[in-house]
Amino acid sequence: MKAAFGKDKWQYLLYTISHPVDGFYWIRHQDRGSVPLAVLLVICFSLCFSVNRISASFIVNDVEPATVDSLQELSGVLLLYGLLCVGNWSITCLMNGSGRMKDIAIAIGYGCAPMIPALLLATLFSQFITVEEGAFYYLIIGLGVAYAVVVMLLGIRQVHDYTMGKTLITLFLTFVAILFILFVSLLLIDLIGQVYNFFRSIYTELVFRM
Amino acid sequence: MKFLKKLSALLLAAVLLASCLPVLALADDVPYDTYNYDYWENIVRIPAPYVPDGAISGVSLDCGAFASPQDICVAPNGDLYIADTGHNRIVVVDGTGRKVERIIDSFENGGEQDGFNAPTGVCVSENNQLYVADRENQRIVVLELDGTLDRIVRDPQSDVLPAGFVFKPLKISVDYADRIYCIAQNMFQGILVFETDGQFSGFFGTINVQLSLWEKFWKKVATKEERQNQTLYIATEFTGMDIDESGFVYATNIDEAGKQGVRRLNPRGEDVIKKGRNENIGGDLWTGGSGAYAGPSQITDVVYRGEGIFSLLDRKRGRVFTYDHEGNLLYIFGGLGTQAGTFTTPVAVEQWNGELLVLDATRAEIYRFAPTEYGSLINQAVALRYDGDEAQAVPLWERVLELDENNELACSGIGKAYLSAGDNKTAMKYLKLGMNRDYYSVAFKRYRSEILRAHLGQALTVAGVALVAVLAAVQVRKRTRNKKAAKKGGVSG
Repeated sequence: MKAAFGKDKWQYLLYTISHPVDGFYWIRHQDRGSVPLAVLLVICFSLCFSVNRISASFIVNDVEPATVDSLQELSGVLLLYGLLCVGNWSITCLMNGSGRMKDIAIAIGYGCAPMIPALLLATLFSQFITVEEGAFYYLIIGLGVAYAVVVMLLGIRQVHDYTMGKTLITLFLTFVAILFILFVSLLLIDLIGQVYNFFRSIYTELVFRM
Repeated sequence: MKFLKKLSALLLAAVLLASCLPVLALADDVPYDTYNYDYWENIVRIPAPYVPDGAISGVSLDCGAFASPQDICVAPNGDLYIADTGHNRIVVVDGTGRKVERIIDSFENGGEQDGFNAPTGVCVSENNQLYVADRENQRIVVLELDGTLDRIVRDPQSDVLPAGFVFKPLKISVDYADRIYCIAQNMFQGILVFETDGQFSGFFGTINVQLSLWEKFWKKVATKEERQNQTLYIATEFTGMDIDESGFVYATNIDEAGKQGVRRLNPRGEDVIKKGRNENIGGDLWTGGSGAYAGPSQITDVVYRGEGIFSLLDRKRGRVFTYDHEGNLLYIFGGLGTQAGTFTTPVAVEQWNGELLVLDATRAEIYRFAPTEYGSLINQAVALRYDGDEAQAVPLWERVLELDENNELACSGIGKAYLSAGDNKTAMKYLKLGMNRDYYSVAFKRYRSEILRAHLGQALTVAGVALVAVLAAVQVRKRTRNKKAAKKGGVSG
């Protein structure tokens, strides 16, 4: 566990975010990344997202505080993270991607990192602005999101050793795969429910007859 | 003994005083829901703005029960005109609502007695003439108030009217120049306008059919046969009208989307209504569910109540929605039912002596609603804001907040007053409660520069000291490093 959150992992996270191409190359080939750290970053991102929605100033915030449930948002973000990883892995496996599951998880997780300071900074900054200066608030968030997207894209490209075009194509297929996974799992849940109900009705029938 | 006497007198006085205080009408006291929508479109319960105050019916007036009355109108002198459609007569009630002034069921037309056949709309103009939409006789009858005939408007002639068009007027309104605005049966092209001389001059306020992208796509794809079998896309008909003091026509229609149930038409027939912050002026925002009670409100009539305030009548759920000139919902009350004060088939709404009247066609009665303290406070405060006297509205809004602490308009109004008085911090608090973002931003900007101005000196001092300290630390570090290097160099050398 210590190794997963060791000082070198944190330092290498900073290096990866500032040098994504190099960083993700050595993550792929020398295991310099850490999956637990990546998951921690995703959790942090989700919490910062909730913090932003609750405490950004009234000037820029149009969210009803009563509708923000950070635990629900956390489970949503983690579910999406898991789906992205599984979906991307299942597509890239078929398309000559050299990335392993853990590399994909790290690429997406590390990619969330720039959004954490951006959301916190924007939330803090929003306390000092008027409506006219709201553009700066959105600029901070926009920059954070753009940086995160760039890091994620480069990361996925690098761990799979793809060209940019192929990365985008696999990403599109990843979303198709996610929809497919959701469809199949809903179907499965429904079928399990029906089987359960079948045996349950047999049981109640027996109980009533005895 | 003297003390006891004094005490009992004091107590008696207190009890008497307390009984004089106005009693707040709670939601439980009225047979309908009273609510409003907040900034996030949640339903918020409010104290009753209007309470039932009896009914006017043919029986109570001793002139025989009405039969399916379709319209009411208040004359400039305060008389109430009721179109008793089923009995082909117009009943005129005096300002007290207890006595019939006269009943108009016939008039002299070219030396012969003439009468109405299903009069569905009635209107008294500013120039004191009575206009009756005589539906089955296919004409509009204009009478003097004493019942003598002035003129008859019929058979509109124009190229824009479809061939074989049968003119069946339903509702009419008349503006200050005696132009007649008429809603006719099966006329989807708009309101018919007749000039003072009775000439049909054209359509007014046509509602354009809005096709969604999806519908357009299917229209493109469908074959000619398929298209013939589809239902036609027809604009909705207007349902009711009123005219404000500057001659703008408020006209209601049934909007399937529930977004816009009323239009404010300028003299060119363009819609200039303000829709408020949620871009909705169509009644209820929560319209989900199933069954006959669900679905968007069906606005059937409108009354312009002065100072920009107007009320809409919804026949779907029997609600009366009241908006201000900016399109903000002020309050909602009313409901369907069989108790006194609820409706079965509400068809028309009017304002009369400060009360609201709602005409129920099935029960053939007019229900009166008197404003409570809460309702009249809001009406007055909104009127003051409309006239630009927002500062005078503050005590009213403060009393509104005592009755209903969630009232966003009240918070916003008080906040604006604090803002102009220069108390930016309190203004911020109230404007935030009132969800008024633009004014909150202004208050915050002023508050921020206030703080900056007050503390700029201190901030600069702190920054200056910090700068000096940092510079000093850098120098000290440099020197110690140099010394160490010199020592090392000395040892090795």
